[in-house]
Amino acid sequence: MNRIRLKFVSVLAVLVTALLPLSCAMEEEVRNGEYSDTPKGNFMALWTIMDEHYCYFDLKKEKLGVDWNEVKTRYAASISDDMSDRALFEVLCKMIGELRDGHVNLTSAYDYGRNWSWKTDYPANFSKDLQNKYLGNDYIMGGNGYNYRILENNIGYLVVESFEETMSDGRLNVMLNTMALCNGLIIDIRDNGGGKLSASESLASRFTEKKVTVSYTCYKSGPGHNDFSKLYRDELSPAEYDLRWIKPVVVLTNRGSFSSANDFACIMKPLENVTLMGDTTGGGGGMPMSSELPNGWVVRFSSAPMFDADMNHVEFGVAPDIRLDMKDEDIQAGVDTYIESACAFINDKLVNF
Amino acid sequence: MTDSSRCSRRLSSVLLAVLVVSFPLQAPAQRNVFNMPQYTETIRITSIEFGTTKARDTYLSGSTYMGNTYGLESDGWTGFAPYRLFSQGRTHSNVCFSIMKNPRNGGRTMAFWGHEYVGFMWHALKYSKYDLLVGPAVMCDLGILYNQQNSNNPVNYEGYVGGGICVDNTFRFSYFGYDMAFQATLYVPLAGLSFAPDYDQPYYYIYRYGGYGRNLHFISPFNNRALTQQMALVLPIKESRLRIGVTVDGLRNYLGGHTHMLFDTMFTVGFATRYQSKKWDR
Repeated sequence: MNRIRLKFVSVLAVLVTALLPLSCAMEEEVRNGEYSDTPKGNFMALWTIMDEHYCYFDLKKEKLGVDWNEVKTRYAASISDDMSDRALFEVLCKMIGELRDGHVNLTSAYDYGRNWSWKTDYPANFSKDLQNKYLGNDYIMGGNGYNYRILENNIGYLVVESFEETMSDGRLNVMLNTMALCNGLIIDIRDNGGGKLSASESLASRFTEKKVTVSYTCYKSGPGHNDFSKLYRDELSPAEYDLRWIKPVVVLTNRGSFSSANDFACIMKPLENVTLMGDTTGGGGGMPMSSELPNGWVVRFSSAPMFDADMNHVEFGVAPDIRLDMKDEDIQAGVDTYIESACAFINDKLVNF
Repeated sequence: MTDSSRCSRRLSSVLLAVLVVSFPLQAPAQRNVFNMPQYTETIRITSIEFGTTKARDTYLSGSTYMGNTYGLESDGWTGFAPYRLFSQGRTHSNVCFSIMKNPRNGGRTMAFWGHEYVGFMWHALKYSKYDLLVGPAVMCDLGILYNQQNSNNPVNYEGYVGGGICVDNTFRFSYFGYDMAFQATLYVPLAGLSFAPDYDQPYYYIYRYGGYGRNLHFISPFNNRALTQQMALVLPIKESRLRIGVTVDGLRNYLGGHTHMLFDTMFTVGFATRYQSKKWDR
């Protein structure tokens, strides 16, 4: 009996000890899923990451004629294992540049790979010097890139340089209080490259008195080009317990209004007292996520598409209610066509109220 | 009784309590280096850990990150009433912190995680030189990976809550006249729940839209392979017990369309303390 027990003990001891190599094997198995750190391995890793996670392939095929499989074939011919890192970076940047998406980037020590044709292929419709002239020297700094003043014609003018940071509730209250007697408010988001969605929504919530459906969104739920989650409806609720603005609002946009600024234009557009004026925004409707190539380069890609209240993609921008173009003669005369048109629009609305 | 004598007695009690906790009590019957605790007894081994960790989480990055890891570990054996089926309690707790780099040293990931395992052990075999404890265990494994380079997916959760099995071996032997003990312990989770984002679902969306039904996953060895394995040598140093060992801790699962892997190998050094658990006397 004792011998049997001893044998049992020995077997158990061996089993417990043998499980150590088993855990090592578990680790080895995971490593096999990675691509090699060679030009070909990095190329395939990038192509596959985009293929499985990028959310706009169908849209880009329809609007830009981009066939991702054809892109692979075309660029694979430029990849060889003896090419330099810099040459590889250039080829990979060109490949992802085919998507013409500001949220698609490749980051390395060499550069920040990007295709900003969504902005550079269009008129700027913006002059920083002119904007500064309208703001003057005594404008109020609301913090985090939110600057404002009351223009001579009693219209409030708010410049939002970026949505990287949220303007605090307290500061927003002070700003709206300062402009309480103004006839209207101009919110200038030209050349605002975006930031946090929560920052744009926090500002927008001051301009509605009721809950409004402003957009829809979903996210990639699988590796297939059409694997998406169900749609989530975004409702903009009025900011409770805080000051809200019910007078006319004009939002000035141009092609430099990108990402969260694009989102701001999208969610402001359905509001009753808000008018979008200027150029179509730059787009950037997909919430970006990141991954990494075997050589450590970071790739960013759009993975969660956003739609406006009418279920249209906003990847290519939000069209204004009133289209404007900066006139050269205005610029030379020191006049910002956008701001002047917005003032005229607000005054006209007051007259016809 | 004067205030000063009352104060002095209280001070003496505190000092005595510190001494009891700090030094192992040598029971007369305890001739060997590591005997299982009897009813009302607890052995606790507190160790520092240092080693390396490898992590790969495809929600964050396709690369395997590796780096140094530091932590604290606490193992406990408690004697329950001998007539009970589970006559011993076994606990394992640890907290670890690791800063890892990718193979090209271009990116950094930080990890912070901890375990709390509680095993209810059946004393399956009891010899003068060998103890085998086997039993079910409640296992909780919580941790986060933070990738400093990422945009809207910088953090991911790693871990599970569930039940599994624990096997604990203690071999006692002599080497050049020194009594020693070799311990081998294994924890394996068999079933439970884990949390994972649904493929490319940003955490912001989980917070904003809810829908947690797609984020909670039932786990089994088919989709969640994990184990914690300890090998340790217990050596007598004067009246105390030194424990040196290796802890291997692995977690690999495939949830929400992504592979999550956290694998660490840690060297541990700690001291054993045997004490009477007063709460049993009530």
